[in-house]
Amino acid sequence: MTVPATPIRVVIVDDHAIFRSGLKADLAADVDVQAEAATVEEAIAAVHAVQPDVVLLDVHLPGGRGQGGREVIAGCTALLPGTKFLALSVSDSAEDVVSVIRAGARGYVTKTISGSEISAAIRRVAGGDAVFSPRLAGFVLDAFGTAEVAVEDELDKLSARELEVMRLIARGYSYKEVAKALFISIKTVETHVSAVLRKLQLSSRHELTRWAVDRRLL
Amino acid sequence: MSAKMYRSQKRIVAGVCGGLAQHLGIKVGLVRAILIGTSFFFGAGLIFYAWLWLLVPMAGEVAGADAPVVELDGNPRLKLFRPAVGAPVAERPNAGRQKPPVGFKEILIGGILFAAAFILFGRQMGWNLQLGTLVPLSIIVLGAVLAWMQLDNTRRIGLLSAAKADTPMALLRLGGGIALVIAGVIVIVAGSGSWTLVWASIVASLAVLAGVALVLAPWALKFWREFQCERAGRIRETERAEIAAHLHDSVLQTLALIQKNAQSPSDVTRLARAQERELREWIYQDAEHNSGALVERVKAVCAEVEDLYGQAVEVVAVGDAELTERGNALVQAVREAVLNGARHGGTTVSVYVEAAEKGVDVFVKDRGAGFDLTGVPPDRLGVRESVVGRMQRNGGTAEIISSAEGTEVRLHLPSETSANEEAK
Repeated sequence: MTVPATPIRVVIVDDHAIFRSGLKADLAADVDVQAEAATVEEAIAAVHAVQPDVVLLDVHLPGGRGQGGREVIAGCTALLPGTKFLALSVSDSAEDVVSVIRAGARGYVTKTISGSEISAAIRRVAGGDAVFSPRLAGFVLDAFGTAEVAVEDELDKLSARELEVMRLIARGYSYKEVAKALFISIKTVETHVSAVLRKLQLSSRHELTRWAVDRRLL
Repeated sequence: MSAKMYRSQKRIVAGVCGGLAQHLGIKVGLVRAILIGTSFFFGAGLIFYAWLWLLVPMAGEVAGADAPVVELDGNPRLKLFRPAVGAPVAERPNAGRQKPPVGFKEILIGGILFAAAFILFGRQMGWNLQLGTLVPLSIIVLGAVLAWMQLDNTRRIGLLSAAKADTPMALLRLGGGIALVIAGVIVIVAGSGSWTLVWASIVASLAVLAGVALVLAPWALKFWREFQCERAGRIRETERAEIAAHLHDSVLQTLALIQKNAQSPSDVTRLARAQERELREWIYQDAEHNSGALVERVKAVCAEVEDLYGQAVEVVAVGDAELTERGNALVQAVREAVLNGARHGGTTVSVYVEAAEKGVDVFVKDRGAGFDLTGVPPDRLGVRESVVGRMQRNGGTAEIISSAEGTEVRLHLPSETSANEEAK
């Protein structure tokens, strides 16, 4: 994780003005907030106008068809490879987390995290990597199961290494600590996490589907 | 010229010509002339007119609060099926217009035109039409038109949608019903000279009944939906009241406490954190996947420690297990480890519980300064006895890894079956 020379251009989407201003004040110097939005419509318009590197996206938003952050991502699919979405929410329910990840967000953090942590998460997402909180890792382990192991690049199972990485993240390890514990580089950890994110987004695993249906995600 | 077609309010029959003229940007007279002219060719103009009459909404259509409404896009929808959140409800144009009563003149014109078209159509085809069948037929049609016009337009469109008349199958069904009624009446009327054919009457009555049932089905459906809509509203109201009561009991009370203790940051943090936990529990209680006994207990002891030290304890759980006696010991060991972490760590304590078939693993991690395990005096029972000893007595293992970056306590409790297998 290197600090880019140019500032990261960010759009903050949250319906609470107090939270937006607090977050803005907390963010590191290399994060440049270009626009703010409070509703789904405003968010889609702002993201299209600014075309930022990263969108900090609240999961619950007023407006649109009532689908909140998911709808914003769906409305910005044209920009998706260039613009990354980092979901941000007070909610840590499985519905909210997994649905927004499956919609295309590159990571998920809770609103209680500190300014420096969120700045680090923004840099990581801007660099093309995924950001997993311990809770999201827990959901992944819950959804994919902890017993079965993928032989090859199977979409609906995690590989042994991915399982290990997820477990360590769920235990509260940072990427750096995961790398140290598994004797691998941070880059490799990031690769594993990105692979898990891809599986979470693309997998049509029977259990995952059922798990999601149970929670009315699909 | 307007993008959306509406029937004109300045009308002779139903405002179709006016609306069409406005929509296409040509003169009303021309549209009327074309429609009347084409009516002489197999009644095409009339059919087109009737079709537009049914499908095109009246300009300035307004619906009652609970009646089916015409959305901006012209789709008839029942209120229940409209998106509840953020729908632009207040943007219906020309709201507040009252529909004038349907005049006798309009019905007369419509009826006569219809009959004339039919007769002309028949003559063109060279049928030998008998006025004896034509007159009752036109009376029936007139009656149907009358009945149809009794309903205001929103109702009409609501009915069409309630009967799902926008699909070909449903149109067929509706048309079939009406045709059955008409056929039944014709049989009765035409069969007046041969009453001996009793079965004909029976068939006719049955046909009429079947037709009436088919025609009335949309009404029944509509009332059922309205009933459902109302019930959903009542349920929402009850839920709202319950939420309000809960918020009053919990959140408002906590906010009051926080205001009182505003000078003590640690109290404020603790109160806020406890309230947050309680609220989360309440909100996500239904969605909670692993509500089994063991995880619940772990969460409870973590909450307890959190209250005690005002230190956040994040619990992530995967799977769940039954709470056995040994499980209880594990929970107690977890409590001790979390206590230790909160006491010495001074930052957020992460707890990860993984319950699988082989056993239960718990990891308690803090980011404190760490401590040298060998340096702990033998009389300090905390870690050695409550965590390591307790786990060993119950057939589990405990490992404590401490460094400058923090401490992690790893607890493993094999399940009963795998513990027996592993017993050497």
